Amino acid sequence: MAEVILQSVGKVYPGGVRAVQGVDLHVRHGEFIVLVGPSGCGKSTTLRMVAGLEEISEGRITIGGRVVNDIAPSDRDIAMVFQNYALYPHMTVGRNMSFGLERRRRHGSLLRALLSPAYAAERRAETARIQERVDGAADLLGLQPLLHRMPRELSGGQRQRVAVGRAIVRDPAVFLFDEPLSNLDAKLRGEMRTELRILHRRLGATMMYVTHDQEEAMGLADRIVVMKDGIVQQVGSPTELYERPVNRFVAGFIGTPTMNIVEGDVERDGGVLALRWAGGRITLPAGIAVTGTRASIGIRPDTLAPVADGPFRGTVQSIEFLGDRADVLVASSGVRLNARLPTERARGLREGDTIALGMPGVAHVFDGDGRRAG
Amino acid sequence: MLRDGRTSPGSWWRIGAVIVVAAIVAWAFMHVAVREWRRTRSPDARTELVVMHWSGDGGQEEDQIVDASLRAFEDANPGIRVRRVNPGDAGSFYTKLMTMLAAGEPPDVFYVGNERVPSFADIGLIRPLEPFLEADRAANDPTAIDLADFYPATVDAFRFDGTASGKGALYGIPKDFTTVGFYLNLDLFERAGVPVPGNDWTWDEFIAAARAIGRLPDATGSEFVTWAAMLRAYLMTEGVDVKGASFDDLTIEDPRAVAALERLRAWRHDEDNTLTSGKSKIATGSSVFLSGKVGMAGPFGRWVVPSYRKIPKPGQPGGFRWDFHPLPRGTTDANIVLTVSWSIAQRSKHPDEAWKLVKWMTDDRSQRDLAKLGLAIPTRKAAAMGPEFSDPAQEPANDAGYLQAAERAQVVEWPVNPQFESLFASSMDAALKTGTIGVREAIDTFLRDWRSESASPLAKADLSPMPWRGLAIAGATLVITAAAWLVVWSRRGPASTARRREERAGWLLASPWIIGFLAFMAFPVAMSLVLSLARWKGVSTLDQAEFAGLANYERLLTDDARLRTSLRVTLYYALIAVPGGQMMALGAALLMNLKVRGIALWRAAWYLPSVLAGVGVSVLWRWVFDADGGLMNRMLGAAIGAMDASLAWFGAGPTGLVPPEWFEADAAVWGAPAFAIMSFWFMGGTMMVYLAGLQQVPVDLYEAASIDGAGPLRRFVSVTLPMLSPVILFNVIMAVIGSFQVFTQAFVMTGGDPNNLTRFYVLYLYNQAFEFYEMGYASAMAWVLLAIVLVLTVVLMRTSARFVHHEGAPR
Repeated sequence: MAEVILQSVGKVYPGGVRAVQGVDLHVRHGEFIVLVGPSGCGKSTTLRMVAGLEEISEGRITIGGRVVNDIAPSDRDIAMVFQNYALYPHMTVGRNMSFGLERRRRHGSLLRALLSPAYAAERRAETARIQERVDGAADLLGLQPLLHRMPRELSGGQRQRVAVGRAIVRDPAVFLFDEPLSNLDAKLRGEMRTELRILHRRLGATMMYVTHDQEEAMGLADRIVVMKDGIVQQVGSPTELYERPVNRFVAGFIGTPTMNIVEGDVERDGGVLALRWAGGRITLPAGIAVTGTRASIGIRPDTLAPVADGPFRGTVQSIEFLGDRADVLVASSGVRLNARLPTERARGLREGDTIALGMPGVAHVFDGDGRRAG
Repeated sequence: MLRDGRTSPGSWWRIGAVIVVAAIVAWAFMHVAVREWRRTRSPDARTELVVMHWSGDGGQEEDQIVDASLRAFEDANPGIRVRRVNPGDAGSFYTKLMTMLAAGEPPDVFYVGNERVPSFADIGLIRPLEPFLEADRAANDPTAIDLADFYPATVDAFRFDGTASGKGALYGIPKDFTTVGFYLNLDLFERAGVPVPGNDWTWDEFIAAARAIGRLPDATGSEFVTWAAMLRAYLMTEGVDVKGASFDDLTIEDPRAVAALERLRAWRHDEDNTLTSGKSKIATGSSVFLSGKVGMAGPFGRWVVPSYRKIPKPGQPGGFRWDFHPLPRGTTDANIVLTVSWSIAQRSKHPDEAWKLVKWMTDDRSQRDLAKLGLAIPTRKAAAMGPEFSDPAQEPANDAGYLQAAERAQVVEWPVNPQFESLFASSMDAALKTGTIGVREAIDTFLRDWRSESASPLAKADLSPMPWRGLAIAGATLVITAAAWLVVWSRRGPASTARRREERAGWLLASPWIIGFLAFMAFPVAMSLVLSLARWKGVSTLDQAEFAGLANYERLLTDDARLRTSLRVTLYYALIAVPGGQMMALGAALLMNLKVRGIALWRAAWYLPSVLAGVGVSVLWRWVFDADGGLMNRMLGAAIGAMDASLAWFGAGPTGLVPPEWFEADAAVWGAPAFAIMSFWFMGGTMMVYLAGLQQVPVDLYEAASIDGAGPLRRFVSVTLPMLSPVILFNVIMAVIGSFQVFTQAFVMTGGDPNNLTRFYVLYLYNQAFEFYEMGYASAMAWVLLAIVLVLTVVLMRTSARFVHHEGAPR
């Protein structure tokens, strides 16, 4: 079982900078988990602590039932794919892929092979096994024709594939990916994403993946870990995160286009709560408890629609057509809202028109501290 | 500089700095310009004489005495103005003199050491003086020089008959001279119970005293330098010189000479503590005697006296009593004169005024003034007898010893070819100093080299003059063609006016560099190629150059044993210095790449030696490698001692190791390596390049390798080395080139001694050019060096392709 368990894991750099604190995470066997967050949120540091490239200052990391805090990276049964691929530039693709296995040979000594025929036979068999595994990985990723090329002769996508191949060859318990797609162009990134998902299914291995791109996270993950300032904000499936963000940060980070936030004062009128802001007032759904006097609501742009007496009345500032949809930016008094409308509903609009928006759909309510209310 | 139409404070600073720099540069040139302008415009109608001298051991005092004497001459001769040039010591003097001679603007009157007379007179640089003497006599001039007033040997020293010095026409009036002998530490004589000998002592007495003193704890019998002139003096005391009737008839094989040399070799190499001749360069001349631990030192002339007079008085720390004794006698009583004259340039425009000056500077009064320094003996007998020289209040007490020796002293004759001295000295060094070969072998080497030198086609007198006119026309044609082609090439294809203008501006802005390059680099380089086909003494003007064809190349490729030695020494050095230096620099760079506190300080400390100046550092390292008291051997001695002690603890015998005599007996093995060890000290630059290379290696790769299971060593071999390979190639090529350019260290520390075992290629090139004046030969050597370095570089580039990994995709 290749579970990865992080218990109260923290990273403090010399000088006292806390990069990560109190991370508790249980990565299940065969799970594809993605750590996401803005740059500097501690996601890479967390991954590197799992890899053993960073010392663990606090807490405990367990891989496959073994506490790895004091175990060298090479002995953690992991493989890592780096953002810049980290291919050895002076080795062919084949040697890049076999390098890790060569380091782990049990019958590696050429000298002993020369002295002992039995040893030599073992050594040959081992060499054949390594070659077999390299070939297997190369077949899987379509790298066969590239095995004798040097990294500098490959395109970015091909290099990425070699980096993945190098990890696969090792047959590790856990794959670690550190922003592996961020050096690729958008189209290639999409393709590789699909490929990685398929690969994950075929290998059935545990994978931890770091990215700053929430779309990538949504597309790949079984579960997503959202981090900010070294602290885990929320762990959950992509739909959970999208539908029930635990706070304003997660709400704003997950989903494209970004959620609209309207902030205002809480008005209590008997049992009914309402939010008032400079340009209007809206009644909050029943059953929501808000403490304090300030609150905000989050509205996904695709839940907004033109409604004759909608609460958000304002001027159309810009219209961006995206094909079947259009993003309409409306400046209402006190707030600016982005509405994603079906194209036919936006077609009649011009910049400068006055429009009223309403939300038949669900709004998220956050209290004054940004925590989800209700 | 200007942003938003305003000038920032930073740019004011910059403008200010530019103005200051410009002002300094202008001021510097202004000074020169104004000086020259004044000189040409001044109403001074006096004749100007340029006078050049040195003041080596005499220091500032000698400089002042000469200056005062020249001012007095000006006062006495209102029609003559004297411009004095003093480049420093004798070495700088001859370098300066050579450049002035080669430029065709020699000083009118200058010092000439008697050993230089043949080579200078042979190519007509200095003027025979008999006509002046005759004229003075005929005119009954009261200032006329009577040569009978001088010690005869000092006068003969400046005669040259067309083949050798010693007789023939007179080329200089000796200003002062010295005889040679040994300086005795009287306290050590007393401690050893040896009676102080008389002036007529013998070599038997000498060696008996040396042995007795050598048996004292912490003392050595005698320092015995083996300079060519001193060896010849030593042989003369056995009634034989190295030359017979002429320099084609050498008497070095005379049994008396061989026996005397064998005896000297035995004293030095078969006995302990009897002789110490120069354990290293430090241990020559004055310094070894100053230590107070050497019974005698010599043969030296009078020139050491000013520094010996600084020895503290007996009773004070480091003080002892000392005196001078002339050279001991063998079968005959002999001594030599070493002397310096005032001579007149052949090309002097004012020979009569120059002669007046020579008379002034060599008259009784001038000689007495100079004699106060104690540095040399007046050549006029009357002046030498005077109280200025024989000052009873000052040591040495035995001033008479010098003068007695002068009565029987001979001139050491030298041939025209200055290589004679060098060949003789280096072969004798091998036998007497390092002891690597026997006397017989040294003599054979010397005879072979000298005969090959004399038989060389370059030694032939009948070569046709260089076709300068043709060469100039060819050169000019080449330059014009190249320029025309450049113009045509730059005009090819249609080009817009804007582009043309930009191009013109580019050329204009680059022109200072281009002009400088052409004038100061391209032209001399081309010239050296032309000169490599010539026989040209660097001391004459270029019109004296003769066309030698490929004779220089032929000789240096087939028939120059010293060149082969110098190549071997240089390669030996490179073989150690290049790989060793790279390993040390890379190792240091790895250390400097660590992230520890204060690393910047460490980096600066390791880099620091690389910015220190060459000569000073070389002097320092000469002390480090001193065989006796040097830092290196003290450390090695301590290390060997510790090893022996620990071996003894285990009951094993001592290692039997002794620290090497780097530049002495062990120079064949340890001479070049000593320079290699020294070169490691200057690895800062290489280290910085490696450090920059290391910091370019992506951290990812190390991380990937450590996940792949590579330990530190494997990471170094599989990541660091391949990633650094282009940097390594660059550094190795630079180091190979650098190793063929070793000069300053060797020049300062050993001068190529002993027996050419530290005569690196460039040092030998320098010797040829600036000591033997073989500019053509030296030019050919420079081109051969270029070829060697080029071939090595190409070989390195070609063979490295497989090992060197170049980053980056082919774009």
